Amino acid sequence: MAANIQFDQVSYTYQAGSPEAHEALSDVSLTISADSYTAIIGHTGSGKSTLIQHINALLKPTNGTVTVGDFTIDNQTTNKNLRPLRKQVGMVFQFPEKQLFEETVIKDIMFGPKNYGASDEEALQAGLKAMDLVGLPQKYQDTAPLDLSGGQMRRVAIAGVLAMQPEILILDEPTAGLDPRGHDEIMQLVQQLHEQQHMTIVVVTHQMDDVIQAADQVVVMSAGTVQKVGTPAQIFSDKKWVKQMQLTLPTSTAFAAKLKAAGFPLMDVPLGLDQLTMAITQTLRGDSHE
Amino acid sequence: MNNLILGRYLPGNSFIHQMSPQSKLLLTFYFVAIIFLANNVITYAILSVLIIAAILLSGISVSFFIKGIRPMIWLIIFTVILQILFSAGGKVLWHWGPFTITQLGLVNGGFVFVRFLLIIMISTVLTLTTSPLAIADGVQTILKPLKKVKFPVDTLALMLSIALRFVPTLMDEMTTIMNAQRSRGVDFGSGSLKQRIKTAVPLLIPLFTGAINHAEELSTAMEARGFTDSEHRSKYRVYHWQVKDTLTWVVFLLVGGLIFFVRK
Repeated sequence: MAANIQFDQVSYTYQAGSPEAHEALSDVSLTISADSYTAIIGHTGSGKSTLIQHINALLKPTNGTVTVGDFTIDNQTTNKNLRPLRKQVGMVFQFPEKQLFEETVIKDIMFGPKNYGASDEEALQAGLKAMDLVGLPQKYQDTAPLDLSGGQMRRVAIAGVLAMQPEILILDEPTAGLDPRGHDEIMQLVQQLHEQQHMTIVVVTHQMDDVIQAADQVVVMSAGTVQKVGTPAQIFSDKKWVKQMQLTLPTSTAFAAKLKAAGFPLMDVPLGLDQLTMAITQTLRGDSHE
Repeated sequence: MNNLILGRYLPGNSFIHQMSPQSKLLLTFYFVAIIFLANNVITYAILSVLIIAAILLSGISVSFFIKGIRPMIWLIIFTVILQILFSAGGKVLWHWGPFTITQLGLVNGGFVFVRFLLIIMISTVLTLTTSPLAIADGVQTILKPLKKVKFPVDTLALMLSIALRFVPTLMDEMTTIMNAQRSRGVDFGSGSLKQRIKTAVPLLIPLFTGAINHAEELSTAMEARGFTDSEHRSKYRVYHWQVKDTLTWVVFLLVGGLIFFVRK
């Protein structure tokens, strides 16, 4: 059963009631439908990380409700009975390799499933499958995680989340600190999980190029509020507004805009790399045919 | 974590904020020492007035000081109860088995309570008005005489300030790791003692790994910028003894003398 995620007038205040209270989210209403790929963007401190931590009840709203499938989280929610929710919602934090602690790769990956009641054998099977998914060769299963390279450690950490077989996968800047190749591989993995495993994906990212390539829905946040929700095309069509939000345009969109400004006949729509290539080819062909 | 007021610093610009850290540190020790001289109502009253004056001069809302007591409240209550139940002397008010409540016991219990409050208050005044780095600096100044016997005062102060500097960093990291492990199905702080100890492993190992990595990176960064512990180091911020310090010391010394005469 795929689950929708629904934020209904959610506010969250850090250290509520103390003199240092500050509101990190205010009146956020948002729907993330099952099987969608949602990118959350916004500059640092806009409330992205606070927002995603509500989805598996690591944070509970000060006001409003968050609904994930059958679960409702509000300020009355206690820490009891959250396991089924957390099993359903896989969470990959920033620099997830920091959470590794077991002696071997496979043990660390099996940690999650075992916490959720899987037997050793089930956990092992889930672990091996997860290693396969993230592209970690099985020869690494008895290696100590800390002996691996940074990129591989990150795969182990992601595999540790995938082994719990979540329906919703949340990733907070999953490619931060990786080299371009590692970056591409992780983003491809996410895409593949979305397409083949039909996971609902929520990604917090600063890389607009990733957003325009993969996301069906983009959420732009600023100062704790949702500024705009739409398809990448809708979000990036207003260049001025994008700049106002202190965001950048995806490379391909920026390139298209420059082409158009230089007099190249191109519809002013924000384009991913593939669409841009196609549009240019078509325009050039069209011209030559006339 | 957010309730932990001990060791929290609130920036400000009050009389007490402006005093030099070394004098605040020494005053705190001095004050704790004279608390133990106090032994009757008048002496405790004098000390309480002094503390109230200090709290008002710090310009920090009283609620912060009251919060500071909360983590200690059980220790205080326990000590007071022991004091009441086991100190003999004076009129016996209640008696049961080995327990007796006497008039003197009640009075002593009251004194112990006030004593605790005073000590917590003075140290809270110190930590709320003095940044951790300033405290490290104050320690360095106070320990300076030990240099004569080749004690590595500067290195010690550096270690202290680095340790203090990394407390918030490690706290943040702990929160992140706890959240990550919670997402993987760990229930912190529930279940039997054995289960609780088990949940500490996935928290502590990443935390230690992180701390060691930080230490390595920091030492590399320091060495890359030419750090050695042998040279005489100058300071970015120098705390001078000011008129404010002298004034406060005069008041505190007078109070100390007064206590000495009024005590029983």
